[in-house]
Amino acid sequence: MKFKGVTLNARTAVYLCLAVAFLIPLGMDPDGYLLRIVSMVVLFAAMAQAWNIVGGLANQLSLGHAAFFGLGAYTSTLLFIRQGISPWAGMLAGGVVAAVAMLLLSIPLFRLRGHYFALATLAFAEVLKIIAIHFADLTEGPTGITIPYGEPSFANFQFESNTSYYVVIVALFAVVSLIFWKLSTGAMGFRLRAIRENEQAAEVSGIDTYRIKLGTSMVSAFTMGMCGTVYAQFTYFFDPESIFSMTGISVRVALICIIGGMGRLWGPLIGACILIPLDEIAVNTMSDVAGLGPFVTSVILIAAIIYEPRGLISAWERLRRRAQKKHAAQSGQAAGAV
Amino acid sequence: MKARIFAKAALCVSLLAVSVGSALAADNVKIGMIQPLSGPNSVFGVNCQRGMQLAVDMINEAGGIKSLGGAKLELVPADIPTPNTAAQATQRLISREKVSGIVGHFVSSSTLAASEVTERMKVPLVTFAFADQITERGYKYSFQVTPKGTVFGADQFNYIYDMMKDHGKAPKKIAILYEDTAYGTTQAKGLRAAAQAKGVEIVVDEAYPLGITDANPLINKIRATSPDIVFPVSYFNDALLLIRGMRQQGINIPAVGGAAGYVINDFRKGLGEYCEGILSVASSNQDLAPKDFVDRFEKQYGVMPTHDAISHAVAVDVMAKAIEKAGSADPKKIRDALAETNTCDGIASAIPGKCVVFDKNGLNTKTFPILVQWRGERLVTVYPKDVATSEPVLPQ
Repeated sequence: MKFKGVTLNARTAVYLCLAVAFLIPLGMDPDGYLLRIVSMVVLFAAMAQAWNIVGGLANQLSLGHAAFFGLGAYTSTLLFIRQGISPWAGMLAGGVVAAVAMLLLSIPLFRLRGHYFALATLAFAEVLKIIAIHFADLTEGPTGITIPYGEPSFANFQFESNTSYYVVIVALFAVVSLIFWKLSTGAMGFRLRAIRENEQAAEVSGIDTYRIKLGTSMVSAFTMGMCGTVYAQFTYFFDPESIFSMTGISVRVALICIIGGMGRLWGPLIGACILIPLDEIAVNTMSDVAGLGPFVTSVILIAAIIYEPRGLISAWERLRRRAQKKHAAQSGQAAGAV
Repeated sequence: MKARIFAKAALCVSLLAVSVGSALAADNVKIGMIQPLSGPNSVFGVNCQRGMQLAVDMINEAGGIKSLGGAKLELVPADIPTPNTAAQATQRLISREKVSGIVGHFVSSSTLAASEVTERMKVPLVTFAFADQITERGYKYSFQVTPKGTVFGADQFNYIYDMMKDHGKAPKKIAILYEDTAYGTTQAKGLRAAAQAKGVEIVVDEAYPLGITDANPLINKIRATSPDIVFPVSYFNDALLLIRGMRQQGINIPAVGGAAGYVINDFRKGLGEYCEGILSVASSNQDLAPKDFVDRFEKQYGVMPTHDAISHAVAVDVMAKAIEKAGSADPKKIRDALAETNTCDGIASAIPGKCVVFDKNGLNTKTFPILVQWRGERLVTVYPKDVATSEPVLPQ
């Protein structure tokens, strides 16, 4: 594309548009509903991206990512409440706890594949939920934890304005996406793709599949733990039921990724942009009839999966390819005319 | 052609009339309603909504908010099926719908999540939820019309203990079964402490997950230990499973439920004859509420108003009176008026103790739990004696 003498690459144009899109919410009403929803979209995109690292790259379908999410939230919040440690440090600690949990979990679990791995992770999150409910001395039990409403300060990870939370959430998404991008490109990307396509073949060609899968899983758990901290700070309250929720967190992040495009950098963002507003609209407009909201949402999602099994990002790419073909044909004709 | 001009003119005039009309009428005052309207707890949410809507209708028919020129109240519902969605929904009510105050939620954890938003955005929240923490965090914008969960638990025990003692057979051993939710554990805590204070042996003290499908392991424990009284604290489905299971197996140990699932119409519908004589604590009851409210509720919805509907109507009335007193739709002014609430009339008098006065934490200091019993299709108040409308029927 030529624009006043400056050649603009199509890819650069898309990225520019995206950057502008991320800037728009800065101008929204800080107390507004819209900003909250946008923040939730980006936060869930970050969570789905964390899932994408293990689910999309290492091809380990996890249905228990709420476990790492909750571990992050509990670690940072308990450290803050009991020890006065800043949630920023707590966020890293939460990530480490989540990664260690993944390490311990992986030792028995990596013998399992496919559905069995998914079921085992699902059970792990449920077990953590029960632990959080019954070890009340440690976790405050089923009533959940309130982040004390103190003076907003950077050290306390509490801000006056929701705009600041939005900035933190976008930064989180950027960090997780950067990690994903680093892992998916270069030599590591090739190894992971080899494992994804055929694990035995990869093993034979000299790739240490166990270590690579373990490493990526731990990175995924670490970033998911960080998301947990940010979520806790953003909503100020959580309880075992909601933070370790199977439908609310585990399945949702996987679903976002699958709808958007598994193993693709922009898949989670596309998925979150569709799923979160869809849920919100359903709950706001269809609550009069019991069950109508979830029903409509499910039908739309099933249709999306049938239409584009590899995620909506491939629909976008197909459109682009078609446009390029058309463009090429046109310029070909033009060249012929000259 | 002429006809067309006429039509255009008519349109202009009617538009003008509509806009002038709406400008003249006082603006509605919006009250946000947060309830579980979908999902497993919707059976309660819908019931609460009925009570709240009726309270709003009755206040509007009585002239609305007089200090605001007869402005009408308007209930703006928001569905919060799980605590995960509470923050967004509350934020929407406040920033989008510009509500002056919020009433609800039935479930403690969702209320706690919503209160984090109302506190920061400085909009008053009047709730019916029981969790102790709601008014233990020093928040300025949260108000609780009902007693705290531990108080419910303690009185669930103390009331029946005193009643049976009066009949010359104080219970010696009891069983506590509760859901591992915020509501179940808080109330069980109060129950346990009260029983221990009286030196009563607790032979079963079991938490179980919400939504169990088989109550037999619990019932077997009760059969094995044969306590004098069973105290189940649960929402709806498990309440049905437990009581039906016990009665079908011929275990006729008296059960004293912990409100929630034990005092709604669906409980009686689901249990039929097994329901007769079941006791429960409650935050209010139809035979203590103003007659006009109860009659109208029954006429409108065809069922008896249960405590969740009544207490939520109380919460709406308290909010309306604060708006009246503040003479403003400004949430901050309404909050200040709420803090000074001292009302003993209207729908608010339906609460046991007849009055609503908040302490500095926002907890209603004038009310207390009551003990109710199923008699046929109705719940009657049987304890404490000074408010009871009927003698308790105790198993022989």
